[in-house]
Order: sequence, then C-alpha cells, then structure tokens
Amino acid sequence: MTKRPTRPRPVIVDWSAISPFGIGREAFLAGMSSGGATDCVPAEDGAIPRTRARMAGQFETRTALGRKGTRSMDRLTALTVATAGQLVERCADLTGSPGQDGGAPADVLPGRALVLGTTTGSAQSMMDFTRSSLTGDRPYHVDPARFPNTVMNCAAGQAAIWHRLKGPNVTVGGGRAAGLLALNYARRLQATGRASSVLCGAAEEYSPARAWLQHHTGDAGGADSVLGEGCAMLRVEPSEQAPDSAFADVLALEFGVFDGVNQVAAVLRQCLHTALGNADVTPAELWRVATSGAPGALGSGEHAALDALLADSAADRVSCADFLGDTAAVAAAFQVVSVLAMAETEPADAPRTALITSVDRDGVAGCAVLSLRPTPSGGYGPSTPPIAATTQQ
Amino acid sequence: MPEFTEAYGSRRVVLTGLGAVSSIGIGAERFLAGLRQGRSGAKPIGAYDTTGFEYANGCEVVDFDPGRYLTTLDPRTLGRATQFSVAAARMAVQDAGLSDNELSSRACMVSVGTTDGESRDLDHLVEHELEQGPESMDPAVAGRVPVANLSTAVAREFRLTKAETITVPTACAAGNYAIGYGLDAIRLGEADIVLGGGADAMCRKTFAGFYRLGTIAPEVCAPFDIDRKGILTGEGAGILVLESLESALARGARIYAEVLGYGLNCDAYHQVAPYQDSVADCMRLALRDAGVKPEEVGFISAHGTGTQANDVTEARAIRSVFATPPRTVSMKSMLGHSMGAASALAAIGCALAIREGFIPPTINHVETDPDVALDCVPNQAVPAELRIVQNNGLAFGGNNSVVIFGRYDS
Repeated sequence: MTKRPTRPRPVIVDWSAISPFGIGREAFLAGMSSGGATDCVPAEDGAIPRTRARMAGQFETRTALGRKGTRSMDRLTALTVATAGQLVERCADLTGSPGQDGGAPADVLPGRALVLGTTTGSAQSMMDFTRSSLTGDRPYHVDPARFPNTVMNCAAGQAAIWHRLKGPNVTVGGGRAAGLLALNYARRLQATGRASSVLCGAAEEYSPARAWLQHHTGDAGGADSVLGEGCAMLRVEPSEQAPDSAFADVLALEFGVFDGVNQVAAVLRQCLHTALGNADVTPAELWRVATSGAPGALGSGEHAALDALLADSAADRVSCADFLGDTAAVAAAFQVVSVLAMAETEPADAPRTALITSVDRDGVAGCAVLSLRPTPSGGYGPSTPPIAATTQQ
Repeated sequence: MPEFTEAYGSRRVVLTGLGAVSSIGIGAERFLAGLRQGRSGAKPIGAYDTTGFEYANGCEVVDFDPGRYLTTLDPRTLGRATQFSVAAARMAVQDAGLSDNELSSRACMVSVGTTDGESRDLDHLVEHELEQGPESMDPAVAGRVPVANLSTAVAREFRLTKAETITVPTACAAGNYAIGYGLDAIRLGEADIVLGGGADAMCRKTFAGFYRLGTIAPEVCAPFDIDRKGILTGEGAGILVLESLESALARGARIYAEVLGYGLNCDAYHQVAPYQDSVADCMRLALRDAGVKPEEVGFISAHGTGTQANDVTEARAIRSVFATPPRTVSMKSMLGHSMGAASALAAIGCALAIREGFIPPTINHVETDPDVALDCVPNQAVPAELRIVQNNGLAFGGNNSVVIFGRYDS
C-alpha cells in the first residue's frame, strides 16, 4: 500500500436534508437527537406485502416548491430541487451568477456544480410511462410532459434549472453507495479545476414501484424491512477555499467490487485498510462508524469487515437504517449527514474522525473517512439563518 | 494506488483498445468497415411490439450473442444493456492486448454511461404486472434493474475486486461523461487503466416518448438535411480502454489516439431543448482543457440527432465557436440514436478516423439545411489527415459533454 501525497481535499461546509425526520437541517438534527422516525403504511399501498415506510412525511411538492413548474414533477425530482434550494438559499456564492448572466464568461470561471446519486432514477415514473403506452388507446398516448421524468438525470437537470447551476451536472448510479461515489466525483471535479463549489448528495423516493421491485429482489430485507426516502445534500468546497467554520474534511474515499456475498467482507476490508492508510488514521482513533445497514448476508459481510478492523477501537457503530429505514440511493448521503449531526449535537474541542461504510447488492463496497472539525458548545458551522419559513412549512 | 510521481493531474492519456456493439457491426473492425462504407443500421424494430405506431424503424443490434464474449458471468443474470456493456469491455480489453491477470494487477476504474439502463427490463416487468399482477414480477429481472450493474458487471467479469466502478446515467451525453471521468482519474494518477464508455438497449418507454414528441423519423435519420424528420432510436455499447501514456508505452501497446481533454457544463435552461450559448461554452471548455485552438480541429463528430431543434442549435453553436467551422458529421445517421452509447460509439469512430485517416460520412443526405450551413461530409467517407477531432454529446437535462481526441505521434 502506498500513501497519497497531500492534495486538495473536499471540505463539507454546509448540508441539508429532507428525510423521515422532516424538512431541513434543523429537523434532521432534532430527529437525530430524539431517536427514530415513525413508520407508516402508505395508504394506497396496502396491497404490497410487508410494506412499511418512513416517508419524508411533511414533504409535499406544491407546498415546498409552489404550483408553478411542478405540475408534472415527480417526487424524486421535487425532493432534490427542494433540498438543493435550501443550500442555495444560504449561499451567496451559489446564487451569484457567473456565466451568461452578465458576469464573467463561463469558460473563465468554473461554474456551480451538482453531483447527485440515484439507484435507477424514478422507477415509478419510468414504469408509469410504459404502462400508459401499453394501456392507452394508442401506444403513443403518453404524457409528453412526463417523458423527461423517465430519464435518470431528470432530478439533477431540474435542480440546475431551478437554481441556475451551470457548472458540471452529474448523475451517479450506485445504490446504497451512490452518495460516496458522488462525493468522489465532486472531489475529482475540484481536483481538476472543473468546479469549485459542488452540491453533492443523493435522492430516493418512496413509491409502489420501488416497493415492489425491492420486494421481489429480496433487497428489502424481509419482514422487518422499512423503506425510507428523502434527499441529503452537502455543499463541498476545495480545501483552500473552505471557511474555518466548515463541518468536516473528506480525508479518503475507497471503493471495490465483490462478486457474491461471500466476498463482501474481504473486499470491504481492503477498502478500509487503504482508506485509513491514505487518511493516516488508525482504527483506535475512530470516533464513530456509520454503516449502511444493508440487510441479510450483505450486512453481515459489512459487519464482519468492521469486526476485524475495530477489535481495538472504542468507536460506536451506528446504522442509519435503524432510524431512517432502507433509503437505498440516499443511504450513504444520510450516513454522512448523520455523522455531521452527531458531531454537532455532541460538542468537542478537538477534531474527531468518522468512518462511513457502504455495501450494495449491485456489488459496490466503499468507504469514506471524514475528519470532523471541533464543535465548540453553542454550535458551530456556517453562520446561517434557520431554514427559511417557505421550506419549513 | 500508484505513487504520484508526476505533477498533479498532468499525466497523458491514450486509447489502446476499442470495443463496439452497434447496429452496423460488432467489434472495432466491423464497426470501422461500417463507418467507411456509410452503412445504415435502420430496420423495422423487433425489440418490442410496435403495433399501433404508424411507423417504427430503429437501429437495433440483431446479431448479438452475449455468450460469445462473456467468459465469467452468466448472460442470463444480466439485462441487455449490461450484456452490451460487458461484451464491449471484453472486446476492448482483447483489442488492447491485455490479459485478465495483467488488468487485475493494475489500478483500474470502470466508468459506464447510460440513458435508460435496464429500462427494457422495466418494460417487461410492467407487461407482466398488467397481465398477472405485480406479485408475478420475475425476481431475477427485478434484480437486474439497478443501473450500477452496467459498470459493476464489467468489474465482476474481469474479477477486478479493487476497481472503482461508476455508472453515469446522464442521458444522451453519458458516454462522453464516462470517458471524461476516466481521463481525470488517470490524469490525477488514481488509475492506470479505465474501461470507459456507454451502453443502452432499445426500449418501448423511450420510443413511445420520442414518438409522442414527434421526433421519431418515419424511415431514416438524416441529420443536417433540410428534410430531416427526426431520430431513429438505436442501441449498443462502446467501451474504450483509456490508459496512461507511460503504461501504454511500457507494454508496447498500439495507440489509437490521445484523449486531450473534455468539457462539462449544464444549460440550466430547459429539460429537453438544447441551449445554444451553453453548448458553445461546453465546446470552449473542452478545447481549453485540451490546449487546442478551434482552427486546429480536423472534424467535429456532432451530437447530430437529426431533429429540427438539435441540428440548427448545435450548428449555430459550432459556428459561434469556430470562425471557419470544420467538417461536421453525424454518425447517428448510420447508428441511430443509441442514447447513452451514442457518444461512446462516436468516440470510437473518432479514434478510428484519426488512426485510419478518414472522416465518416453523414448518410441519408440530400440537401443541407441552409440554417445548418456546415459541410457534413454527405453520404461518402472522405480520406483526411487528422490531428485533432472533437466529439459532441448533448443531453436531456441540459447536460453537455464534449471530448477532444488527438493523434499520438511517438
């Protein structure tokens, strides 16, 4: 194993989330302090076997975003547009407009970027569209306004339109690990000078289509499974531009691929080994580990890798799935913001190190090492106003 | 991970292997022959029931047997787009002269773009649901749907357990995105070899959508023609072996071309309509990243879908960047719109054009639209000494990506 030289690292300077805990960062912090979110059985889905969900219950597209431009918007896109909006609202750099709005030409300034993780976009939008082709009087009697929803980059593209994000706009497909893959993409965009500010996160909607797909693949984890949804998004800046009030430094990101559940532990162990080495962190220094909470043999493999690593560590292991449900594409992004939330609600004078681990049935294993900046009691982070009333309902 | 011995992000990147699955030929050699001859992939669609559509031509891959290419994975466990992706990767690795062991001993990344992923499987699941209820969905088919499979299956086929895999579903510019991401990983010294490109399989969902928008051509795709009538949907995959120059030289690999740079931006304007100024900006970003002046570009492989809106907008963007526009061709005239595979297959076309010294034609061409006003190399390939070639990819969501390739002179 070789060690990387010091190079620009992404720094997390702000974050927000729409989750089963509610809308916005404050709701997430409050939810993390009070324990789990409440299960519900979506009314229209009583027919789906074993379906329980933790919905982003207060979130309703028109309340959050208004009536204009939302008539054909699907829930996945609305969650993304609204979460990105919360970050854009708090950041003058993002609402200021390099590019064609009279500022410097876009080829001089790197634009504002967005990287968004997904599993398969909105399976509901895609399957509804096919269904309308198969059941209408004519196979082309489909709603053209909903066609863009059936393409997996819809949410990222709409967020760019709503918030004038003209920089690199990327959608990353990656199951539970999507949030980490997105963070790595953001890192490379910054390292190559293609972007400075990057909004980076992941989104997943609850829908009957997703519930059925996960039911049939067994990925929902059997009778105990609860499907969660939402969107979590970070604003990351290159280290040289990050303010002192930032939340965390991304020290390392590593990935591997397993073929079959019996390889999960070995492949993840390799990722952990490399990532901690690159971050120059020992297992004993870890403060908290946030796991993906994958069900069944996948999750057993994840914990087996951690058992081997953490034999001498006092780090608490936390599974976000325990309190948010199985949030699929947004799992890793929720893990990251959960750790940020825990750091914020448990003040400390010295930096602390957290590990995020992820495994998905698609074969991706991955991890991230974060250094959480000191959190003086009384709060820290960007000096921001509370989430605006329009998004708080 | 390799040591960083060079200045940060400065490593040169070359193409050493090409794998193509297309409606005009499978494998780099047949694909090359198809491009030279101006072969058309258009034919009546057989991928799904087209009853009720007044016309339904497409550029389908009809002679594809995944078992011929896959050595590790069982094709039945993969959706059609993933089969394309893995088969193209197999061909590319073989073309690069890399053994599986050599590959797995290197720092690898797999980066695959797509528009629809396994939407064809989703179509089938909806059909089953309508006939027998949602309880009857095939679990094996449902399990193939997550789009990450397009890249993880490639890693599993070659047993690349340490590889970073990423699937980039940024619609019809996705192939260029994936190639650009691979370029950056190698430039930064974080990978030596990247299997990068794009894959898509034809599906009812996308055909019905484009048909409803009035953008499906009744018979053929005729980009830049005054009488163009739209796109033909297509399918396939293009996977390229991107390799650091020192790695390629060290093992004496054949070098098709160098990947000089790319640009990435977003219109932030409209979900489906391209925006001229930002398309032009993306080309400028790419040229700047590649360190190339507009007048050095030998030809442009356009996004060139053959719709009214795209072709004029793209042509105007080109004319705003290039004082004297270079010849500008659309390989979609031959391949149809293979969605996430489109810019990857076009990238392979660019690499072959540089290496073989020709410019592929825009077929089905009768009379150039005066609003386009570009030399689109009508109907017949032309010989050309090429030094720099530009490949455009534009997508729904305003996602633009442009890649610049150059001849590698040892």
